[in-house]
Amino acid sequence: MEGFLYTALFAPLVGSLIAALFGNSPKKLFVGLITSGLLATAMIASLILLMHVFSTEHTIHVTMMDWIVIGNVNIPFGFVVDQVSVVMMVVVTIVSTMVHIHSIGYMDHDKGFNRFFSYLSAFVFSMMILVMSDNFAGLFIGWEGVGLCSWLLIGFWYHKEDKEVVDDMYNSPYSTLSPHSSISPGYAANEAFIMNRVADLGMLVGIFLIFWNIGSLQYDVVFAEIGNLGHGLIVAIAIFLFIGAMGKSAQFPFNAWLANAMEGPTPVSALIHAATMVTAGVYLVIRANEIFVVVPEVGYFIASLGAFVAIGAATMALVATNMKKIIAYSTLSQLGYMFVAAGLGAYWVALFHLATHAFFKSVLFLGAGNVMHAMNDEINIKKMGGLKKYMPHTALIMTVASVALAGIYPLAGFFSKDLILEVAFGSHAYILWLVLWITAGLTAFYSFRLVMYVFHGKENWSHDKEDDNYQHPHETYPFVIAAMAPLAILAVSAGWMEHSFVEMVTKVLPVLDIHVSTGTFWALVAVTSAIALSGIAFAVYKFNKDGQYYGEKMKDTFVYRLLANQYYIPYLMERVIIKPYLEMSKVSWKEVDLKIIDTFVDSVAKTIYNMGQGSRAMQTGNLSKALKWMTLGVVILLLAAAAAGNLK
Amino acid sequence: MEHILSILIFFPAVAALMAFIVDKDSIRVYGITVAAIEFVLSAYMWYMFDGNNAGMQFTEFMPIIAQYGISYNVGIDGISLFLIIMTTFMTMISLIGLTEKRDLKNLIITVLFLEMTMVGVFVALDAMIFYVFWELSLVPMLYIVGAWGGNLRIYASIKFFLYTFLGSLVMLVGMLYLAYVYSQTTGAWSFNLMDWNMLILPFDMQMWLFIAFFAGFAIKVPMVPFHTWLPYAHGQAPTIGSVILAAVLLKMGTYGFIRFSLPLFPDASVAMMIPMGVLALIAIIYTAMVAYAQEDMKQVIAYSSVSHMGVIILGIFALNVEGIGGSLFLMISHGIVSGALFMLVGVIYDRRHTKMMSEFGGLAAVMPMYAVVFGIMLMASVGLPLTIGFVGEFLSLLGFFAVSPILTVAAGMTIILGAVYMLVLYKKTFFGPITNPINKKLEDIKGREVAALVPLVMLVVYLGVYPKPILDPVNNSVKQLVQVMHIKAITPEAKEKIASVNTIGEAK
Repeated sequence: MEGFLYTALFAPLVGSLIAALFGNSPKKLFVGLITSGLLATAMIASLILLMHVFSTEHTIHVTMMDWIVIGNVNIPFGFVVDQVSVVMMVVVTIVSTMVHIHSIGYMDHDKGFNRFFSYLSAFVFSMMILVMSDNFAGLFIGWEGVGLCSWLLIGFWYHKEDKEVVDDMYNSPYSTLSPHSSISPGYAANEAFIMNRVADLGMLVGIFLIFWNIGSLQYDVVFAEIGNLGHGLIVAIAIFLFIGAMGKSAQFPFNAWLANAMEGPTPVSALIHAATMVTAGVYLVIRANEIFVVVPEVGYFIASLGAFVAIGAATMALVATNMKKIIAYSTLSQLGYMFVAAGLGAYWVALFHLATHAFFKSVLFLGAGNVMHAMNDEINIKKMGGLKKYMPHTALIMTVASVALAGIYPLAGFFSKDLILEVAFGSHAYILWLVLWITAGLTAFYSFRLVMYVFHGKENWSHDKEDDNYQHPHETYPFVIAAMAPLAILAVSAGWMEHSFVEMVTKVLPVLDIHVSTGTFWALVAVTSAIALSGIAFAVYKFNKDGQYYGEKMKDTFVYRLLANQYYIPYLMERVIIKPYLEMSKVSWKEVDLKIIDTFVDSVAKTIYNMGQGSRAMQTGNLSKALKWMTLGVVILLLAAAAAGNLK
Repeated sequence: MEHILSILIFFPAVAALMAFIVDKDSIRVYGITVAAIEFVLSAYMWYMFDGNNAGMQFTEFMPIIAQYGISYNVGIDGISLFLIIMTTFMTMISLIGLTEKRDLKNLIITVLFLEMTMVGVFVALDAMIFYVFWELSLVPMLYIVGAWGGNLRIYASIKFFLYTFLGSLVMLVGMLYLAYVYSQTTGAWSFNLMDWNMLILPFDMQMWLFIAFFAGFAIKVPMVPFHTWLPYAHGQAPTIGSVILAAVLLKMGTYGFIRFSLPLFPDASVAMMIPMGVLALIAIIYTAMVAYAQEDMKQVIAYSSVSHMGVIILGIFALNVEGIGGSLFLMISHGIVSGALFMLVGVIYDRRHTKMMSEFGGLAAVMPMYAVVFGIMLMASVGLPLTIGFVGEFLSLLGFFAVSPILTVAAGMTIILGAVYMLVLYKKTFFGPITNPINKKLEDIKGREVAALVPLVMLVVYLGVYPKPILDPVNNSVKQLVQVMHIKAITPEAKEKIASVNTIGEAK
C-alpha cells in the first residue's frame, strides 16, 4: 500500500517537472496529456487507498526521511493515509484530474500552455503534501506550497497592465459590476500571497506554541498530549491555528484576496479557489479536531465567524455581474457553512460538505469557463443571455450544479447543507441557524440569477460582426464536456454515499452529538427546502417577468452600492493599510534613515574632519610658532599635573 | 592533511601574488581555477571533518610572540565549517559570473586576497590573528568599491572603511583588556581563545567587554542603527563586491557574536537577550519598511539583507540550540540567496546600466529564464518551505519564541514584510506590459551567468529539502557551546535561563 501512497503523492510532481522542461516552448499537446495521465494515476492510487482504508480500517503511516533535526526539533517527512486524509486525497485528485483535462481545451490557444500545466500539477503536489503530512510542519510545507502555486496561477496572465481605480462603479476594479476582476493579475497574485502570509504568521505562532509545550509537531503525539496543557494555552493554540485557517479559507477579514483571485484562468478558479486550496483551512480544523474539541468557546467563535461570512458573501453575490465573482462569493459563503459545522464540533459534517461542495462548485466554475471561452472572455452576465441554445451541455451541467448548490433534494448539496443546518439547530445555536437559513435562500436566488442571465432570456450580444458586442458562442470540445461529466454526476450523487462516509470517517472524527426529534428534523428539512425552492422560483419568475432583477432606482441606493463595492473593503484596505504603509515606509527611508541616522553618522565624521581642518593652522612649518604651541602644551600639562597632585 | 587550514588560508594569497605575472587574457581562467581549487580543498576538509566531534579539528598552533601569548592558532568546528565552505563557494561562483571588464587582472587579485582574509577570520582561534584578518578584509573591499564602483564610490568606500574600522578598534581595546585580565589572573598573557574560554569573569566586566565586542560586531552585521554604511557600499559596489559583501563579510559579525560574545560573556549574553532581541526586531521591521520604499532594485536587496541579519541576531540571542543552530543555517542560506540576488541585479544592470525598477516592467516575457531564477531566489528570500531560506528563519524564530513569544510574534512580521517588498519588486520588474521599448530586445541569461546561477538554484532547493548535512555538525558544536555557557555562567539566574530556554515545557 505504501507504493500507492507514494504514487498518489509524487505522480503530480513528476508531471509538473516534465511540463516545466517545456515551460518556454510553444504549446505541446502531450504536456497536457502526460500531466493529466499522471493525475489520473494519482487519482486511481487514491481510490485504491480509499477502498483499502474503508474495507480494512487500516491506516497507512510512513516516514520517508528526516527533514529538520536539531536540538529538540525532530521533523521528518512523514505521511499518513487515514480516514480523513484519504477523503481529501480522493476529492483533490478527482477534481484535479478533471480540471487538467478541461484545461487542455480551455488553454488550447494560450501560449503559456505548457507552463500552465506545470503550475497546475505543482499545485496538486503541494495540496497532497498538505493533506497527507503527519505533522504540522509538513502541513505548513503544503500550506505555503499551495500559496506559491496560487500566486503563480493567479498571476498567470502577468502581462496585463494595472487598471486605474476609478469612482465609476461600472469600471472600478474594486466593484463587482466592472469587467475587471482586480487591478491586475500581478496585483491580485501578490495580494493573495501577502494576505495569506499574514495569516500564516498566526499559524506559525500556533506551531511554536505546540512545539515548546509538547516538544513534537507529530499529530499523534500532539493530540495525545494536548489534554495535559492548561486551558488558556490550548485556547491560544486553537486561536493561532485558526488564524492560519482563516487566511487560506479567506474568512473575514482575510476575504478580499479570494474575489480578486478570479484574475486567474478559470480552471484555476475551479480547482484552487473553489474545490481544494480554500478548503485547506477547514481541513486544518478537522484534522486538529482534538485541539478544537477541548475549547468549545473557540469553536463557537469559529462557527459565528463562519455564519457571518456565509451571509456576508452571499449578499455580495446578489448584485454582482462579474460571473466569476458571483461564484467566488458563493464559494466563500459555502466555506462559511463548513466552518459553522466544524466550529460546532460536527467535524465529519464539515468534511462531508467540503467534499460535495468540491464537486458541484468545481463543475460550476468549469461551466463558467466554457461560457467565457465561448464569449471571448466576456465576464459580465448581463452581456450574455440565451446561450442555452448554443451550448446545451454546459447549460445543463451548470443548471444541475446550481441546483446542487442550492441544496435541493436529492442532489449532493441537499445532504450536506441540510446537515449543517440541523447541527446548528441541534446545538441550540438558533441565531446561526437563522443566518444560514436565510443564506440558503440567497444562495438559491443568486445561483439562478446567474443561470437565467447567462442561458435564458434574450441575447444581449450581437450576431453582427461589425458590432462591438459581436459574439460567436459555440459549445466547447466534447472531451471537455466529458471531463465535466464525472464531476456533474458526483454533484448529483455524492450525497447518496452519506452512510458509508459517516461509517468510515467517524473512526477518527467524533460522532455527531445532537438530539433533534424526528418531527423537528422533518420540519427543518421542510423549511430549508422551502426557502431554497422559493429562492429559485423567485429568480426564475422575476427574470421571466422583467428580464432583470434590480430597477434603476434601486441601483442608486446605498445598499446596492455597498454590495457592489464589496462592502467598500477594498477601499478600506487601500486607505487604512496599503497607502499608510507605503507612506510610513517612505518616511522611514527618506526622513529617518537618510536625514536622522545617516546625517548623524556623517556629522560625527564631519566634526572630526573639521577639527582636523581647524587644527591644521598649527602646522605652519614655522619654528617659532611651533615653539609657542609647545610652550602652551607644557604649561597645560604642568597645570594638569599640579591639579592632579592637589586632588590626591 | 594536517595543514589543511593553513593551505586554505594562504593558497589564495600565494595564488594572488603569482597572478601578477599571469597574462591579462588568461587571468579570468586563472582566477576561476584558483577559486575552484580552493573550493575543492574546502570540500575535502568537510569530507575529512568528523561530524560527531563537537570540538576543534585540524588545529594548528605556532607561537608568534610568545611573551604576549600571541600565536598562530587555527581550527574549525561545526560552527565555522560551513561558513568556510560557503566563503570558498561564493567566491568561486562570483568569479564565474564576473562580467566586469575594467582592469580585470587587479580585480581578480584583490578578490583572491579578500578570500584569504575571509577564510582567516573563520578559522582563527587566536584573538590577534582573528583581529588581523578581520581588519585586513577591509582593504580589498575598500579597493573593490573604491576602484570599480559607481559615481559615489569614494564616499561609499571611505564610509565603509572608517565606520567598520572604528567599531573594530573598540573591539581591539576589549581584546587587549581581556588579555590583560587573563595575565592578571593566571600570570601569563594569552590571546588564545581556548584559554580565554577558561576565564570566569565578574558580571560587570562581562558587560563592559560585551559592549566593546558589540561595537565591532554590530557595525559589521550591521545592526540598526549602525547600518547606514551598507546601502552606500552596496549601491556603489560592483556586482562581485556586493555578492561577497552580503554573502560573507556580514556573516563575520554574527559569527563573532557566536564565537566570542556567547562563550566568553555568558552572563552578559543572558542579560542582553531582550535588548538584543529588541534591536533585532527594530532591524527586521524598520529595514523591511525602508526596503519597500526603495526605487532601486539593488537597494531593496541591500536593505533586505539588514532585515534578514536581524533574524540571525534574534536566533543567536535565543541562546538555545534551535536558535543558534538556526541562525547559523540562516547565515549560510542568506549568503547563497542574497549573493544570488545581487548577481541577478548585476545581470540586468549589465544589460541596461540602470537598476531603477521604474525602467523595467514585463521582463518575464522577454527574459523567462531570468524571471524563473529570480522567482526561485525571491521565494527562498521570503522563506518558502523546501527552499533553503525557510529552515534557518523557522529555527531562529522558533528558538527566540522560548525567550519571548511577544517579541517573536513581532519579529515574525519578517515573513509578511519580506514578502511585501520582494513581491512588489517582482511585480514592478517582471509583471505588466513592457512599457519601455528598449526592454523588448533584452537577452535572457546565458553562458557564464547560467553557469554561476544554476549551482545556486540547485543548492537552494537541495538544502531546503535536505538540510541535514549542515544541521548535524552544527547541532553537535552548538550543543557544546550552550553547555559551556551553562557551566560558565556565574549567576544562578543566567544558569537557569539558559537551561529553561533549552527545555520543552518551560516556555510561557
